[in-house]
Amino acid sequence: MATSAQNKKKTFHIDETDLLCKNGCGFYGNPAWQGFCSKCYREVYQTAHKAQMQHDAAKEASQISPILKKGPQLADVRASFSKFEEKKTQQVNKRSNTFKSFLRKTPNKDNQPLVKEPRRISAESQKIGTEFAEFLKSIKRKPAALEISKLVRGFIERVQHNQEFSIEDLSEMVQDFYTSLNDKLNSQPVFKGFTSEVIDKVMDFAERYILTRLYPSIFCHPSTNDEERDLAIQNRIRSLHWIRAPQLDTLINENDPAIRHELDSAITDIIELDSKRATQDKLQCIVSCSKHIFEVLRKSKQGPASADEFLPALIYIVLKANPPLLQSNIQYITRFANPTRLMSGEEGYYFTNLCCAVSFVESINAESLNISNTDFERYMSGEAVPPGSGNEQICKGLQMMYDNLKVLAELRQRQEKVMAEVLQLQADMNEFKENFIKKVDEAKERTPLIIRPRKVKVDPDIAYSGQNSNLPSPLTPLKVHVDNSHVAIVAEQMLVDDLSDLQGNDNVMETKDGSEEMEPTGQ
Amino acid sequence: MASAGGAGGGRNLNFKVVLLGEGCVGKTSLVLRYVENKFNDKHITTLQASFLNKKLNIGGKRVNLAIWDTAGQERFHALGPIYYRDSNGAILVYDITDEDSFQKVKNWVKELRRMLGQDVCLCIAGNKTDLEKNRNVTVAEAEAYAASVGAKHFHTSAKMGKGIEDLFLDLSKSMIEKSEEGVAKGRPGSTRKSQVLVVDDSTEEPPPKSGCCG
Repeated sequence: MATSAQNKKKTFHIDETDLLCKNGCGFYGNPAWQGFCSKCYREVYQTAHKAQMQHDAAKEASQISPILKKGPQLADVRASFSKFEEKKTQQVNKRSNTFKSFLRKTPNKDNQPLVKEPRRISAESQKIGTEFAEFLKSIKRKPAALEISKLVRGFIERVQHNQEFSIEDLSEMVQDFYTSLNDKLNSQPVFKGFTSEVIDKVMDFAERYILTRLYPSIFCHPSTNDEERDLAIQNRIRSLHWIRAPQLDTLINENDPAIRHELDSAITDIIELDSKRATQDKLQCIVSCSKHIFEVLRKSKQGPASADEFLPALIYIVLKANPPLLQSNIQYITRFANPTRLMSGEEGYYFTNLCCAVSFVESINAESLNISNTDFERYMSGEAVPPGSGNEQICKGLQMMYDNLKVLAELRQRQEKVMAEVLQLQADMNEFKENFIKKVDEAKERTPLIIRPRKVKVDPDIAYSGQNSNLPSPLTPLKVHVDNSHVAIVAEQMLVDDLSDLQGNDNVMETKDGSEEMEPTGQ
Repeated sequence: MASAGGAGGGRNLNFKVVLLGEGCVGKTSLVLRYVENKFNDKHITTLQASFLNKKLNIGGKRVNLAIWDTAGQERFHALGPIYYRDSNGAILVYDITDEDSFQKVKNWVKELRRMLGQDVCLCIAGNKTDLEKNRNVTVAEAEAYAASVGAKHFHTSAKMGKGIEDLFLDLSKSMIEKSEEGVAKGRPGSTRKSQVLVVDDSTEEPPPKSGCCG
């Protein structure tokens, strides 16, 4: 080969023998086949390849053999796993089975992995493909289904043949296809009788299928500067890492575990945006992220949240999440989503808000954060950190510990409060008791308890029947006859009686007793 | 999809309405009063008040209003165009006790007319009429201004629930008018991406300003 090349350079004349196969079989050779003719090249190459394969296999066997010696079970597992894997790929490639069996007849085994690879990549396409097919079956209108599938497949082929188109042209092609498909669904006789729901569904599936199939060639298209912008926004967000909720005037209290959980869900959703293919799924990620943000806001304040609160929160989430390929995803959705989706409906609204958030992040400055220019510069350059952002960088475990400490401190405070209240209650009870005793004493003093001598029951019957002896003898009229001195005594006695009557009952008895005592005098 | 469904004579109309105005003028209360008929109520069922739908039936036409709330803070002012792009109507809210908020409305009107031209229906709402005694924007001034820019002026009170039905009903009616006008003229300037797209008028879509499918 080398000599023939030299000859060429020297003379510009190529001997016919140089063009012939190096093997000397009489056919012409080709530099691409290293100077052999196609047949000889294959033979030579195949033997070399076989030798290489054998060598590789031997090497692999020597590597596996120690495992085999150690444990035959492991090898079993290995074998069964490879079997399982094979089964799986067979299932995945069910559709291409016919194609593969056709290929198997060729002796060149190298072709097989080449065929397999693109199939494996488009597992998502296959999934949506079967779903679409099932849906078309479910509408039970064969000609209509065939027509739809023909249109969609024709369009995909058309795009795949025009790979070199600019992204604007591709976007326009896709948008035009939506319009024309929609028009056809509404006007062509094949589709007559389709309800608007069915049409919506067909449009939805068509969009999903087309975009999933074309995703690798239209997402982050080389003709655009999407990649640069992705990097720019990523770096921008990274340098804005110091922004916390208060700087954006959001009400989010990150220290609350329940709120932080919602925040994490929102961040997960927006990061997932990049993993979806169809615009619907991407938009759904944004909607779900927004729902979580509203949940956060609901926990942070009373009443439904308005855009005034939502947008800052979304900006905050974007800053915290730093979603991968953010600009590419936004551009992809704007270019290829069905515009009705973006025009109205909550998907459109939340997508618009995301665009606003990104635009705000791009143009964020000292003024929009209400801080001085020098501070902003210092934070951006990493010279200083804004106050109150210290505990953000710590790991999750520590953060949890701080949370728990906070909860414990709170509990202790409450415990102390309870204790204080208990003591207060005790003091109150004591005071009450003392007061009570005091009052009772006072009352006792005011109205002393006097135990009166037991009253003798006077039973009139008994009194009259038996014990007449205790009774004073019936009064007998006193005869004033003896002398003046005696009369005076009697008169005196009567006066005393009258006086004691006036003094009260208790004394009456005494006087009565007295009168008894005085009886002898009376007599 | 509504514009597609409207192929059979425009029976279903989708309109996008943006709410613009400074913070604290009561945009959210206004729309909540309209959609839920509630004010400052803890029984408000919706989790959020930033995006709301309202279905109307005006003269046999089914109208679906998608009401987009916007963030009113000054720092977000520059994001306005992203919000009101492709909108059919705009409600500009100011607080009658706050002269500044009325100045903001004037700025918004200028911007909207510059960006969207005459395609957009404008309504100016002087909110908080329940605080009439603290009024700082005179009725005459506000109404004269509205008339001068081709907008309708309404006095509303989200608290008392006054003037809000009228506001939205009138706006919907003028949007329907505009869209019918647009059909007659063959949907001028209603393409999705006005700077790039060249849409020939061969494809006829009844509700013109929705401009979807374009």
